[in-house]
Amino acid sequence: MVFCKKKIFLITLCLLLITSYTFSFGGALASERILRAACDGDCKIDPAIGGTGYNAVLPLFNLYDPLVFPDTNGLPTPHIAESWEASSDSTLWTFYLRQGVKFHDGSELTAEDVKFSMDRLKAIGEGSAYLFEIVESTEILDKYTVSFHLKNTFAPFLSTLYSFVIVSKDIVLDNTKEGPYGSLGDYGKGYLQFNDAGSGPYMVKEFPYAEYLLMEKNPNYFLPIDSNCPDEYKLVFTIEPVTIRSLMSKRELEISDIGQSTETLLALGNTEGINIAKNYSSGGVWVYAMNTKTPPTDDIHFRKAMAWAVDYQTTVDKIFVDTIQARGPVSHETPGFDPTVFQYYRDLDNAIEELQQSKYYDKLDEYPVTLHYCAEDKDEAKMALLFVSNMADIGIKVEVTATPWVVLTEECSSLESSPNITNFYATAPYPDAGAVLQLRYSSSTAKNWEQNEWLLDSTFDKMIVDALSTPDDDERYEQYGKLQHYIVDLCPTIFLADVVIRRAYQANYIDWPLVRDEAPPVEGYDTIGRFLKVYPEKRSELLNK
Amino acid sequence: MLPPFIILLNMKKKIEIIMKRFTQSIIVLVGLSILIFALTRLMPGDPARLALGPRAPEWAVEQLRDEMYLNEPLYIQYKYWAKGALRGNLGISLVTRRPVAQDIKEFFPASLELALFTGIFVGIMGALMGSMSGWYNNTWIDNVIRVIAYIGVVTPPFVWAIFLILVFSYFLELLPTIGRLTAGIIVPPKITGLVTIDALFAGRLDVFFDALKHLILPVLSLSLGPLSQEARITRASVVANINKDFILNAKICGISERKIFFKYLLKPSLIPTISVLGLDFAGIFAFAFLVEKIFDWPGLSRYCMIALLKKDFSAIVGTILVLGIVFTVVNIVVDLIISFLDPRIDLERGR
Repeated sequence: MVFCKKKIFLITLCLLLITSYTFSFGGALASERILRAACDGDCKIDPAIGGTGYNAVLPLFNLYDPLVFPDTNGLPTPHIAESWEASSDSTLWTFYLRQGVKFHDGSELTAEDVKFSMDRLKAIGEGSAYLFEIVESTEILDKYTVSFHLKNTFAPFLSTLYSFVIVSKDIVLDNTKEGPYGSLGDYGKGYLQFNDAGSGPYMVKEFPYAEYLLMEKNPNYFLPIDSNCPDEYKLVFTIEPVTIRSLMSKRELEISDIGQSTETLLALGNTEGINIAKNYSSGGVWVYAMNTKTPPTDDIHFRKAMAWAVDYQTTVDKIFVDTIQARGPVSHETPGFDPTVFQYYRDLDNAIEELQQSKYYDKLDEYPVTLHYCAEDKDEAKMALLFVSNMADIGIKVEVTATPWVVLTEECSSLESSPNITNFYATAPYPDAGAVLQLRYSSSTAKNWEQNEWLLDSTFDKMIVDALSTPDDDERYEQYGKLQHYIVDLCPTIFLADVVIRRAYQANYIDWPLVRDEAPPVEGYDTIGRFLKVYPEKRSELLNK
Repeated sequence: MLPPFIILLNMKKKIEIIMKRFTQSIIVLVGLSILIFALTRLMPGDPARLALGPRAPEWAVEQLRDEMYLNEPLYIQYKYWAKGALRGNLGISLVTRRPVAQDIKEFFPASLELALFTGIFVGIMGALMGSMSGWYNNTWIDNVIRVIAYIGVVTPPFVWAIFLILVFSYFLELLPTIGRLTAGIIVPPKITGLVTIDALFAGRLDVFFDALKHLILPVLSLSLGPLSQEARITRASVVANINKDFILNAKICGISERKIFFKYLLKPSLIPTISVLGLDFAGIFAFAFLVEKIFDWPGLSRYCMIALLKKDFSAIVGTILVLGIVFTVVNIVVDLIISFLDPRIDLERGR
């Protein structure tokens, strides 16, 4: 007998003992009243670096405060700024700050910090800095008064301020290292990567970069925070469907990330105590962006023919699920949306009629339409396949290529390499129709993957600049309406569906104003810890069932 | 036993050979760094623009390009990088915006812990299963182990990961899903970076067992494939050796089966096992990224994969270099062990 039975028995016994001992060790939750939300890691908590990505805005408004705060309609209300006024030409904006707001180190927030934050943001140039190119200079008028001088009239300035948060000048300057900003060194970039210099309702407690970000409640916040609001707020860096499903079922995760597939969300929604929250605050619209300078999509009739041939119903119901068909370039909840804009529907007769007026009608084989989609996105693959089938119904040939993201961004940066069509959505820089229109169609913002139309239309450029310089809201929205009609008439884009953000959440033991339409419709603001409530007793009940 | 001076001569020869292998490895690694450096910069896409996003102003992108010397010719970029690398500065990661060296220092121990436990488990279980299978070949024990081995070999690690999470974490709720430690546990002071070892150093048995609990599922996911492979290789080796003359001779001499197995059969049979084990161990550092993603394990493989996808130059070159070092070191160690197991193998020529 080679393998001594007694020895094997002893070894197995030891292993079993070790294993059972291991199993018996359970860690208690650090804090009972904890809110855990998932995101894709790589959190940039430095306000000058983190941009509009979900993993940047999720922590940002918990750690820092903005001057103005959006209400449930997206309109600006006082926050750090108690009041403000604009000069008659809207180039000078003066803000009167609330007194007694403290940063997390106990020092007071003053106009100096506001100026420092804006200067720092513009000097570093990343994150939301592109929104503030319009700011010429920032002036401190007195300890609690600060004014921004704009280069020219810019009506939606207040909406852009939702992306501007205030950083403590003293904390940053105490923690600078060697860097390219002259006497300011690295401008605190190294320090702010893992620490916060904010005044927000939560503060950084632990931040092991690749695993999670743990924030704790700020006991000295200038606004009252309900005792049922989470004591700890943890961002867990995982988006794997299996992991998310496992964690949520075990009640170890309260809010899922924004990228879960339809199938995973369906399964989660069917789990007891878990519901799906949806919102349109990204302001994005799923589109097929058609290159208006490259044949055959340079012909307006050709483009309109394609717009008539797309099966919108199937796309919206089966691919995007739980959202509505888009009506023009602006999402229906974005301020300035014009509901009278024409909306295409599938009509093959109209499609063929348009196609017959196009100069490529009898040469369809010679002019295939190239469609490049982001290879990493499963939804885009489905969109592409449906598109090919729809176009085949009217005889248009489509060549689809799954393109890696890196290559796609490179291709879209020049007219020569841009394909005929790409599909994507772009998030609104700030909650305003003008922001979306400018981003998507202005000549100044062409040459990147958020545009593929290459409209380069000087009439449009003038119209959008005029609109953005119209201080009166009603007048401005009227101009936005005209712009939306203009675009739809030109048909450079096929508008598919308004982007809906869906997240699974623990409906039984957290209270989330978003699901009652009581949250600000701005990304990142709907998950601020001081609005959510967690009930650990209800969680225990659920677990013990 | 050999007279002492012959042992010393042997050692001197071994050390000379090791030094020679070491020098060869340095040359290989330098070549690797040049190759990877050139390849990353030939890939399409502008890393500065990718890192800052489409809305960043052109001047900010240009500033980042200058910081990374992207406008310089290739050999100048390599020169800057090499100078920095010799001083331990592998550049700044575009994704994490931290020094790559710091990132690697943080993620390497996590991968090491995973690789170590997986290696030990695979080595012991693989050798055990394989040798049992080989010794009792063509009996029911052999057949059962072979079927298990086939299943193990064809199933990728991430499938095991998902399956194990479903069973042990989701349905049975016995084991944790993610992370290295349960939230709220006070982490022991970092000495090696391996939580289990650090916990033992600090005398914190509760942390040790908690870390072990978090290691079980990832280690199982990563081991089941290599384990099966090792078992099959060991089995083949045992079967081949079992019919050799020296075993037959031992049987005729009346030596007990136990002694034949452990003293005469095991050593030569384990040679291919050890070789493959070495490669599997090194492979975990590079190829465990899906398992690391699923278990939210902060390892080097996941870091490398993200760097590749986001075209993070410095991180790609830095991690590939570190992985190259791991593979080279493991190869040398494996050759050493084999030469110890079978002195007939010429270490110099690695036969």
